[in-house]
Amino acid sequence: MKKLAVFAIIVLIFGTVSPSLVDRAYGQNDPSILLRIAVQADKQIVNQLDRVYGDQIPNNLQILYDKGHRAVYSLDESLPDDIEKAKQDFLLAMNSFMQISRIISQSSEKVVVVTVSDKSNRNLTSEIDRLEKYVKTLEKISKKYNADVESDFIKIYDLIQELRIQINNGYGSYNDVINEIKIILDSIKNDIRESAIKHRSDFIKRFFDRLLDRIDKQLTKAQDDGIDQFQIDKGHTLILEIRELLSKNQIHDAKLVYGELKELMQNIGYSIRIT
Amino acid sequence: MYSLIEPTQSNQSLGDDGILFVRNEGIFDTMVKTPLLVASMIIVAALLPIQSSFSSPRDLDLIIYPDGSTHVSTEIDVDSFLTDYELNLFGSSIDNLVVIGDNEFLLDTDVLDNFALIQTFGSSVISIEYDIHDLVSKQSKLWTFSLDSPSNFTLLLPQNSVIVGMTNLPINMEIINDQNKLTLPSGKTEIDYLFSNTISNPIPDPKTETNYFSYAIIGGVLIIILIGAVIIIRTKQKNPKPVNHNPITEKNNILDIETIFKLKPDLREDDRELVKFIFNNGGKALESELRKKFLQPRTTMWRAVKRLEREGVIEIEKKDLQNLVKLRKNMEEEE
Repeated sequence: MKKLAVFAIIVLIFGTVSPSLVDRAYGQNDPSILLRIAVQADKQIVNQLDRVYGDQIPNNLQILYDKGHRAVYSLDESLPDDIEKAKQDFLLAMNSFMQISRIISQSSEKVVVVTVSDKSNRNLTSEIDRLEKYVKTLEKISKKYNADVESDFIKIYDLIQELRIQINNGYGSYNDVINEIKIILDSIKNDIRESAIKHRSDFIKRFFDRLLDRIDKQLTKAQDDGIDQFQIDKGHTLILEIRELLSKNQIHDAKLVYGELKELMQNIGYSIRIT
Repeated sequence: MYSLIEPTQSNQSLGDDGILFVRNEGIFDTMVKTPLLVASMIIVAALLPIQSSFSSPRDLDLIIYPDGSTHVSTEIDVDSFLTDYELNLFGSSIDNLVVIGDNEFLLDTDVLDNFALIQTFGSSVISIEYDIHDLVSKQSKLWTFSLDSPSNFTLLLPQNSVIVGMTNLPINMEIINDQNKLTLPSGKTEIDYLFSNTISNPIPDPKTETNYFSYAIIGGVLIIILIGAVIIIRTKQKNPKPVNHNPITEKNNILDIETIFKLKPDLREDDRELVKFIFNNGGKALESELRKKFLQPRTTMWRAVKRLEREGVIEIEKKDLQNLVKLRKNMEEEE
């Protein structure tokens, strides 16, 4: 019995500690990644400097570059033995290269910072890729609900195909096709929502049943603990009210009353949370 | 003195090397109640994951598209006794939001600025997918990804992108369909990247490199064995008759310096000095040696070397991480 107990303790200690050990080990699984990223960045920065400044590299950039480049060499020498030094070298190198690339981009003729939501920065291929991913997610959900939207999805995939051809050819009515896809998607979403109503309603009712049973028990316990009877009665009344609203499928109202019940439970010092 | 530190147990407790063995029976009984300890640890072990997992993403994956828009997909453990969950969306430019609860139920969600109020209704795990346009900005040709992540996350960068700056140490990196996929730690991260035509390939996968390296070692060993075998066989079959041995003079294909300058009369004076040094150094030199010799910054020397390469005077080979500059042997043929 004692051997079993000792074994259980060892297993538990290991089980508790092991996640953090694994995480740390993962973080250091291949330090050569740092060198590969830094070397790639170094080459790219040299290309940038050469292209933008030719033989006339400003002194501040030359100093920054030398600093970053020295850090890359130092990083190479630190690996694989001195991981901590390698990490410092990596951050130093990447920080120097970051500063250089930002100075170069700021000194460009036309300095415009744009967020990618800016429509002038639109990339149709990316837009189609994202749209297709969204369509696939909705298709997966529609199958779960048995929504009758298969033909709509076929049409959307055809339109996406058509759009890709137009993009490759360099001309076409992109916006019209995208708008058509979006209209069909809205229709699909409505169909899914309608098909989901029954499922969703059952799902929510099951959730409230489970929750209200739990609160009911807590109210009984509160009564035994001597909590004000008025509060207990009010709690029971609210539970009945929620159940009635749920039976009428008035989910939103049930949720509002549940908020009131939750507040009452907090006031009398009983948490509804599982933890 | 010795008797003072002698154990009170019998001498049989001492091993052959005089090592002290102490009976541990009853230690748990005397120190703590074993069942109590085990029960406490079970409770602690059971509660730890629950406490640490609620409201924190168990998975967070980001994909950056070439236009800088980002697809976010995440899974979050939520309290199954709550009706709603408020999610921070990393930004307000959101498209194509889908939230799925337990059993792949579609959950209703209201988005307000940076937040989404999700009606979880008892779901214990929710999956969220959306596209966001706030994480990447662009200045001139430089793209900057910024995120303050609540957990570790993966980031798939677009094809042909090259990282030129980052503020955090990556946890891992792999290649997915010719794209670099980084695993990054929680907290603030900034990554600068450029799209490059010159470096079209992603950073090579170390696993692939390792495999090639392994194959190279195996191949090398096999070649050495084969050559050894051939030498041994030839030695055994060696004819005792005297052989007229014609000394073979190794032909040095490198042109002499004057010929090089005749072939390339337009070389700059400083480039000629470089060529002379390389020639006198046996026809090859490391780029770092050239820098030291001529006291030039790296970029200046790099440009000079590239110029000579373009002229067809030298060729550049990679030796470890350094550039080995060699005079070309077939320069005359090209002319």
